[in-house]
Amino acid sequence: MRKKKKFIVLFVLVISFHSFFLLKPDFAQQAAQKETTGIAQEEESQEKIISGPRNIKESTGIYVFVAWMWLVIFVLIYILMLKIKEVDRLFEIRFISEKKK
Amino acid sequence: MKIKHSLFTRRQFLNGLLGGWFGALAASLLYPVLKFVFPPAREPDQVILPFSDFKDMELNTIKSFAWGSKPGLLKKNDDGSYTAFVAVCTHLDCNVTYLPEQRKFFCACHDGWYDENGTNIGGPPPRPLRQLYISIEGEELVITREGVE
Amino acid sequence: MSSKGNHQKLHSWLEERSGLSEIFRFLREKKIPQHRHSLWYYTGSAILLFFAIQVITGFLLVFYYNPTLEGANASVARIMTEVPLGWIIRSVHSWSASFMIAFVFIHLLSIWITKAYRKPRELTWMSGVFLLFASLAFGFTGYLLPWDDLSLSATKVGTDIPRSIPLIGVWVTKLLRGGEDVTGDTLTRFFGFHVSILPIFLLAFLAVHVYLIQKQGMSIPVAAERKDEKMKELPFWPNFVYREMVVWLILTGILFSVAIFLPPSLDKAADLMAPAPEGIRPEWYFLFLFQMLKIFPAKILFVNGDTLAVLLIFLGVVAFFFLPLIDNKPAEKKGKIITVIAYLFIVYAVAMTIWSLL
Repeated sequence: MRKKKKFIVLFVLVISFHSFFLLKPDFAQQAAQKETTGIAQEEESQEKIISGPRNIKESTGIYVFVAWMWLVIFVLIYILMLKIKEVDRLFEIRFISEKKK
Repeated sequence: MKIKHSLFTRRQFLNGLLGGWFGALAASLLYPVLKFVFPPAREPDQVILPFSDFKDMELNTIKSFAWGSKPGLLKKNDDGSYTAFVAVCTHLDCNVTYLPEQRKFFCACHDGWYDENGTNIGGPPPRPLRQLYISIEGEELVITREGVE
Repeated sequence: MSSKGNHQKLHSWLEERSGLSEIFRFLREKKIPQHRHSLWYYTGSAILLFFAIQVITGFLLVFYYNPTLEGANASVARIMTEVPLGWIIRSVHSWSASFMIAFVFIHLLSIWITKAYRKPRELTWMSGVFLLFASLAFGFTGYLLPWDDLSLSATKVGTDIPRSIPLIGVWVTKLLRGGEDVTGDTLTRFFGFHVSILPIFLLAFLAVHVYLIQKQGMSIPVAAERKDEKMKELPFWPNFVYREMVVWLILTGILFSVAIFLPPSLDKAADLMAPAPEGIRPEWYFLFLFQMLKIFPAKILFVNGDTLAVLLIFLGVVAFFFLPLIDNKPAEKKGKIITVIAYLFIVYAVAMTIWSLL
C-alpha cells in the first residue's frame, strides 16, 4: 500500500508541476504571434529571439511528447520497483544462507 | 491450448519488459536528436532573378546563378530559349561546366560528359543533369523546382 | 532458448579476451551502507547523469555552432529557429548545466556536513574541489558562447575580477581574455576551453575521484559509525544501481519538462563598442560572489576594496581545498565548529544570492 501511495504522490506532483507551465501563456509565443499579428510583429521581435515551437503542429507534438515521456518514465519506475523487490529478496536469501554457513 | 512449460521465466519476462520500455524511452529521445542531426534539405522552391542580367546573353553560352546552396547554370539555346540546369554532376556531386565549342557539359572529377540538353552521354554519370522550370514574367526570370506549382 | 545459448557464447568470447567479469564481480561485491543519511549517496551519480546529458547535447550543438565573432550569435539563432528541434537541444543544454552545478553544490555540502572527507578520503575531496572548479569554468565559458549583450558584459566583468589578485592577477586576466580586452579572440579561446581543454581536465580528475571511491568504499557518517551494530548493506550491482535508475528517470523527466516549457531566449549580437547594458549579472551560481564584490567599498584603509574582496575569496577557497586537513579531529570541538560553519555558509550564500536579485 505504501508503494501505491508513493506512486500517487509522484503522479500528482508531476501534474501540478506541469500545470504551472501550461498556465503560462508565453509558451508557443512564436506560433501564436504568426497566426494573429502577421509579419510586422515578427520584425519587432527580432531584437530578442524567443525560443519555442514554430507552429501549431509542433506545439501539439511537444505536448504529446512530454505526456509520452512521463508515461514511459512511470512504467519504467514501476518495473524497476518490481526488479528492486526481486534483487533485494535474492540478496536476503543468499545473505541468510551465507550466514548459516 | 495449454502448454506444459513456460516459454520464459518470470525473471526473463520482467527483464524483457524493463529492456523493452527503456528501449522505448531511448527511441523517443533519439527521435529529436536524429531530426536535429539530419536537417531537411535547404533547396528553395523558387528563385527569382532580374531578367536584365540574362537578356543579352549570346547564343550557346551559360551563366551561373545560385540555386540555394548549389550552383545553377542558365543556358541560352540556339533558338533563343533558355534552359536552367542544376550544375551538380549526378555521379558524385562535383560541379560541372559547359564547353560551348563541343556543346557538352563536362565534369572534371571523373570525366563525365553530358550533351547540350543535359543528357548523360559519357563517363560515370548515371542520370541526366537536373533541369528546372523557367518562366519569364515581365522583368523577372523565375526558376522553379521540378514538381512545385 | 537458443538466444540464451548465443548470449552465453558472446559472454564467454568477451570474457576470454577482456576479463570483464572481474569488474562485474567487483561491482556485485561493492556494498552501499544503508542508514539515515544514505539519501546523499545518490547525488554523485546525479551529477554524472547531467554531465552525460551535457556531453551529448554539447556534441549536437557543436555541429551547428560557429565560434567566431561574426558568426556566433547568428549560429545560435539558427539553431533556435531553423534547425529542427534545435531550440530543445539548446534548452536542455542550458538547463542541464544549472542542474549539474546545483547537484555539485548539494553533493559538496553533504560531504562537508557528514565529514565524509575525513581520513583516508582527503584526496577524494581535493580531486572533488578540482571538479567543482571545472564545472564552474564550464558554466562560465559556456555563458559567453551565444555572444549576446548580456553574456559579453558578464564576461567582461568576470574576467576583470582576477586582475585584483596581486602579482599574477593581470596575467590571469590576459590568459582568459587572450589579450587586454574582451575580443573575438576571447570567444575563440573560451570555446577551446569549453569543448576541449575543460573536458579533458574534468575527465582526468573524475577518473582519480571515482578510482579513490572504489578503492576506499563508501564513507559512513560519524554518528552511524559509532553504533557498533552491523549495518544493513546493499550490493552496488544490481540493487543500488536499480534505485539510482529510478532517481535518474525522475531527474531526466523534470529536466526535459523544464527545458521544453521554459526555453532560454537569445538577445541580439553583442556590440563591443556599445555601452554596458543594464542589469548585468552572471549565472545564478556566481551571484553570491558577485554580491560580495558589489558590497565591498572602493577603498578600505589603503587597500583597494576589490583586491581585498578577491583576496578574502581566494583565502576561503584555499581553506576549502584543505578542509580535510584542517578538520583532522572531526569528533571534537573544532569539528563541530566546522559543521556549524557549513550551515552558516549555506545561509550566507542563499542570502547573498537573494540580495543580488533585489
